Amino acid sequence: MIGYGLPHFPMTRASSVDDSSGVVARLIGVLGSERVHTHPLDLLVFGKDAGVTPGEAAVVVLPESTDEVAAVVRVATAAGVPVVARGAGTGLAGGAVPTSACVLVVLTRMNEIFEVDEVGRTAWVGAGLVNEALSNAVADHGLLFAPDPASQQTATIGGNVGTNAGGPHCLAEGSTIAHVLGMEVVTGDGEVMMVGGAAPDPLGYDLRGLFVGSEGTLGIVTRVLVRLVEVPPQLETMLISFVDVSDAARAVSEVIAEGVVPAALELMDGPMIEAVENFVHAGLPVGPGAVLLAEVSGHSVGVAADAALVREIAVLNGATEIRVARDEDDRALLWKGRKAAFGAIAQSAPDYYLNDTVVPRTRFVDVLDEIYAIAERYELRLLNLIHAGDGNFHPIVSYDAAEAGMTEKVIDATHEMVRAAVAAGGTLSGEHGIGIEKRDLMPEVFSADDLDAQERIRDAFDPLRLLNPGKVLPEGSRCLDRPPT
Amino acid sequence: MPGPAADVTRLAAATKRLFEDLSDESVEASAAWTVAPSTMEEAALVLRAAADARMPTRFYGGGTHMDYGYRGDFELVVTTSRLNRVVDWQPEDLTVVVEAGVPISTLEETIGERNQTAVLPEAFGRATVGGVVAAGLSGYRRFRYGPTRDRVLQVGLAAGYGRVIAGGGPVVKSSTGYGVPRLATGSFGSLGLVGWVMLKLWSRPRATASIQIDEAAAAASTYRPLAVLETSEGSFLYLGGDPQQVTAEIASVDGEVRSGLHWPIPISNRIRLEFRVPPRLLRQAIDWAQRVDAARWIAEHGVGRVEAGVDAIEPKAIQAARAWAETNGGALIVASTHDPEIDPWGTPPVSIEIQRRIKQAFDPFSICNPGIFPGGL
Repeated sequence: MIGYGLPHFPMTRASSVDDSSGVVARLIGVLGSERVHTHPLDLLVFGKDAGVTPGEAAVVVLPESTDEVAAVVRVATAAGVPVVARGAGTGLAGGAVPTSACVLVVLTRMNEIFEVDEVGRTAWVGAGLVNEALSNAVADHGLLFAPDPASQQTATIGGNVGTNAGGPHCLAEGSTIAHVLGMEVVTGDGEVMMVGGAAPDPLGYDLRGLFVGSEGTLGIVTRVLVRLVEVPPQLETMLISFVDVSDAARAVSEVIAEGVVPAALELMDGPMIEAVENFVHAGLPVGPGAVLLAEVSGHSVGVAADAALVREIAVLNGATEIRVARDEDDRALLWKGRKAAFGAIAQSAPDYYLNDTVVPRTRFVDVLDEIYAIAERYELRLLNLIHAGDGNFHPIVSYDAAEAGMTEKVIDATHEMVRAAVAAGGTLSGEHGIGIEKRDLMPEVFSADDLDAQERIRDAFDPLRLLNPGKVLPEGSRCLDRPPT
Repeated sequence: MPGPAADVTRLAAATKRLFEDLSDESVEASAAWTVAPSTMEEAALVLRAAADARMPTRFYGGGTHMDYGYRGDFELVVTTSRLNRVVDWQPEDLTVVVEAGVPISTLEETIGERNQTAVLPEAFGRATVGGVVAAGLSGYRRFRYGPTRDRVLQVGLAAGYGRVIAGGGPVVKSSTGYGVPRLATGSFGSLGLVGWVMLKLWSRPRATASIQIDEAAAAASTYRPLAVLETSEGSFLYLGGDPQQVTAEIASVDGEVRSGLHWPIPISNRIRLEFRVPPRLLRQAIDWAQRVDAARWIAEHGVGRVEAGVDAIEPKAIQAARAWAETNGGALIVASTHDPEIDPWGTPPVSIEIQRRIKQAFDPFSICNPGIFPGGL
């Protein structure tokens, strides 16, 4: 990953951390010294996410309750020090990476499951609970938490809320936003506030809807009331091979155009398949072309009909082989190939840059062609892993950052890919968020007035600009012109 | 508050000309002016002029839900009758961009050509897309497809401060900036005029059936039905999917089967109560509906909504039912065109201070449906 090499901060001893404001001392007063970290190594480790942006925290704290988070926020904001919330740090857009000296609030210790209502199909969980741990915990009730980002073994629910995380099964189920009913948040004033709840359509503005995807800039989410869904009674998982990636892409478009929305439609291109197969040995067909991992779920009769339609469309578009998972183990193996993709990429070069962009599904084939053309023009090694059903691209450039000028070249190429998606009527991010990575690209999809409106929202929550500053909205988004009074 | 006459003389000549040019006589409203912009820019100009003149302004779509919220006196009514185009339907992307004034029935007819649906409320007469989004209404099929707000991908707003803004992303999956569509959905026009939306569509199921069942629990054997309703006229299970699947599901449930979707007749009593409670408390909400002598009621299983119609009710009965709903994290909403003694919303949400700041940020002169929203915003 870019910037993963040399430390960015001088390695000073903890005792030399400047605490002229007294913030660290007061935080120790709140949490005790065990849960307040100022060692440069901690600041270094927690100052990064899984992406490319280096950051810097002044102090890292590990609260264990909402009240502690509130107390931390009060200490920090009273001293005018920014507060940045962080989960497991699996984000790729820099949403949890500090842009200035801040108090970094790591929520991973708040990982309790407080309550599961199997009748109402909801659960109250701590923001620090790991995504997959939730689905595992409710599996006995025949329930699951639908958002399944690739990082689900590590990523936290709070982080999923922050970025409005997706995953393969969000095609039919919707992203995190469709699965969060309420939350407890700590506001910029250090107050604890509940928004939403188990009842439908809470009164007033949908603040819960605003918090999802707001990347910690409106408040710190400490507990989440999630919606759980029934484990489908029947699943059919198919691995469909194509000689040409465009054929696979066309098949996807035609499935959607038929009005069938499968549970998942994941596409991997040739280079990606090769990397994955070398890593997990799932029996993927290595070579040029592409594979489509298609899963349909639901009532057993309906599943058979939808699966038949997917296969028919695939064959009409030149599918060369269709492998249907025989049982749960086989299914798990097919999915393992998809989910292990990021580990697999790491084998091929020291660094990779993974991007996230979305296009209307009607433009999917054209934009894919363009992404290949851009990689070729920049002479970069490109692997594609695509949430194809919803037009969500993850072009991955694999490279060596030690090569002079390489990092800049990769970023330029990636930005071109994003612009190609935007030009085709798409948008900047489908599920990773804006963070720092795409903050300055926001004017590509929003007018000055649109950004000003978003700044107004931010001001309503955080007038002091101390909650995760420097994220999501570019500097100077607030228009100064006002309507005549 | 000055009366309409005072208001007319107060208006600048340019504003008067603008309002005269955009005048809409198709809607009967007891306001000094009724105007119908035909573009977002015109809508923003109107709101800017209204802000200058501090004219309380109300928005009007199909007029089906004007009895929600606190009462107010309005000097200007902005209708969406000229924002009436289906702008961009992409059947192969399952999305549509549609202006606010398009009636639901027209939208459904258009996209029905390719057997698609926007899953908006099933029976609301002249209700428009913009009105339904602004009121945050969902249909019964939310049991399977989720609420309307999950399908508003983008929104165009003429904000109360007189600028045109868009929010969200033109794709089915986005994590790009704040959820402005979420903010606008259910805002009851209190932030500005919802002028257009981009909606995510679904294919209509190839087969559907409605089954009258003895009790709602009988629906438990089906996987994700379209809706399970318990009403004063009986309990109904609504199925949709592949024809063979629907046939198989029908065979697994006892009850009288009708093909197609037969939704309850909408409640049209003088006063409509709407319980919103955690789904597990639905039974108790039904009990409350019966306790207040509801003439009719419709309860949505798995959702937690009970609509009940009454012709008269003691404010005390509402208070008791509301206290129960609010204690359990829900609400009781009362829609009534008449009784000033009845509080339509009840206790405002605990986030009221932030809600107030949002209102102020989008409607600094408090001209957009002022005072009708929870908390009197």
